[in-house]
Amino acid sequence: MSALLSIRDLSVDFALGSWLDIGARRQLNILTGISLDLAPGETLAIVGESGSGKTTLARAILGLQRTSGGTIRFEGAPLAAPSDFARVRRRTAMMFQDAVSSLSPRMAVGEAVTEPFAIHREPLTDRRQTARDLLAEVGLRPETASRFPHELSGGQARRVGVARALALRPALVIADEPTAGLDVSVQAEILNLMAELKDRLSLSYLIITHNLALVRHVADRIAVLYLGRLVETGPSETIFARPAHPYTKSLIAAEPIPDPRRRRADLAIKGEIPSILRRPSGCVFHTRCPIAQNRCRTEAPALRRGDPTHEFRCHFADI
Amino acid sequence: MTGPVLQIDGLTLDYAVPGGRLHALRNVSLSIKKGEVLGIAGESGCGKSTLAAAMIGLTGANARRVAGTIQIDGQDMEALTEDDRRRLRGRKIAMVFQDPMTAFNPVLTIGAQLTDFQHNIDGVSRAEKRARAEAMLSRVGLADPGLIMGRYPHELSGGMRQRAAIAAALLLQPEVLIADEPTTALDVTMEAQIIHLFRELRDDYDGAMVIVTHHLGVIAELCDRVAIMYAGEVVEEGPVDAIYHRARHPYTRALMACDPAMIVARTARLPTIGGALPDLRAPPPGCAFAPRCPLVTGRCRTDAPPDVQLTPGHRALCHEVRP
Repeated sequence: MSALLSIRDLSVDFALGSWLDIGARRQLNILTGISLDLAPGETLAIVGESGSGKTTLARAILGLQRTSGGTIRFEGAPLAAPSDFARVRRRTAMMFQDAVSSLSPRMAVGEAVTEPFAIHREPLTDRRQTARDLLAEVGLRPETASRFPHELSGGQARRVGVARALALRPALVIADEPTAGLDVSVQAEILNLMAELKDRLSLSYLIITHNLALVRHVADRIAVLYLGRLVETGPSETIFARPAHPYTKSLIAAEPIPDPRRRRADLAIKGEIPSILRRPSGCVFHTRCPIAQNRCRTEAPALRRGDPTHEFRCHFADI
Repeated sequence: MTGPVLQIDGLTLDYAVPGGRLHALRNVSLSIKKGEVLGIAGESGCGKSTLAAAMIGLTGANARRVAGTIQIDGQDMEALTEDDRRRLRGRKIAMVFQDPMTAFNPVLTIGAQLTDFQHNIDGVSRAEKRARAEAMLSRVGLADPGLIMGRYPHELSGGMRQRAAIAAALLLQPEVLIADEPTTALDVTMEAQIIHLFRELRDDYDGAMVIVTHHLGVIAELCDRVAIMYAGEVVEEGPVDAIYHRARHPYTRALMACDPAMIVARTARLPTIGGALPDLRAPPPGCAFAPRCPLVTGRCRTDAPPDVQLTPGHRALCHEVRP
């Protein structure tokens, strides 16, 4: 199986301080040792708390963030030169977290959904008809084309975001928190729409989210990020049934259960994700880990495998 | 057990909007007893935040109370002057907002603000007020409260700011604490910790709490009773166990069914409700949920649904339910 997207040992550093400190600028490591594959037609969810590096990873894939090590291959070819990223951006689409503010307030919906054609200089014979077709595809009425973003509900704006993402028939859609801020019934509608379009247009999705309840239903595979390190990856059934890493376990346990008969008595995880400026030594999770031992403070855990599809980094996880 | 600390009767409230009046709350009645935690749940636009704002007397200038009363400890907030209302806030009723960044003044330290919030207390020195503020910060689980006192709101993380906001709300030991989406802006691990904090606080704080949220998981974890709102009405109210396990109103059932957290097995297609909220500028004469309801009959479209008492403490606004 050839991967649509293949990331090997990716790292991203941010420069700290002002550009005036030439030569003396410190590098702050954001992502290290990220290796991931995404097969055609697959949905991969990247899960983690704020500050875990999820969005930086998506930006690096699209060439919006300079990488400092490792390789990214898209449809078999490596991405290095700026022209390579132009190709990726033609074949991928991004759905942004805040659907309303990702649309220009002065551009009517019909124009916004067909704008990708202009950006990528793709031929477009009948702009109005294309706009109507794209809107119909996401379940919006043709008259929505003349509306402006402020006239849309959250769910409608989200649908416009999907229509715009699909305009150029991408191979990969990167969705950053696709249902953040939506009510549960609208959230289900958007997820059903994304699932239906995925089958019809054989799309792959990279979904960035912290909503585990959603991930369970949409993702084929899950990658868990913590402070810029991948701590566990595997098929979603495995991750939910037999999570290996203590961080994954506590994320699953932290999700409130909508059943008053199953109230939790104690806390699965305490404290907050440390600042990336003070990333802990050894295993990055040791400061919050319920099973941490001395070794975790000094030695970064190597990759271990539960089975060929399930990988995690922990010294002491039992599988 | 004494009478209710907060009693709302037949509250009907409109907003002046372009094109008419938006009927945001329609005939809402609720009561909360001392020591009780009430959850108010519903989707965007159902009126839950308007109801929370009305409880503390903070609805906007375009709001108008058409009918009904809100009584805190037997006192109607509406009948008071704005000065008197302001004096009651904090002491009788206090509120925690979704985004604590907007609740604090960005140019004053947390300590200065928590001290100022106590300005209505007479006969207590400023040093004592600072000490109380510091003790409260420690009570809500902030390590090193002395240090936090000197910090500005932007220097704290979202979770720390929410803890500080809860400390601020509890400073004057209000009889009713309202929290509007208190965990929505937080990561799931911090959300779990804030839920845990609320649960600890309810043990040693004897006031009532109202938790307004669209997150059914938060209510299940925290509340004794829950009111489900739809299109400005409370459509079902009862003990959490009854609502989560024996919901009777078709809207409550539909809402529970489409929460992905309710569905344990992986599903390719999630249930949805279908249809849209009615236009609240002209609410339908019958049941507001009728156009989307699977049990709808002819009279649902024409007659307002009765408030049916199902079991003591459990009621639903529906033509099709029987006790």
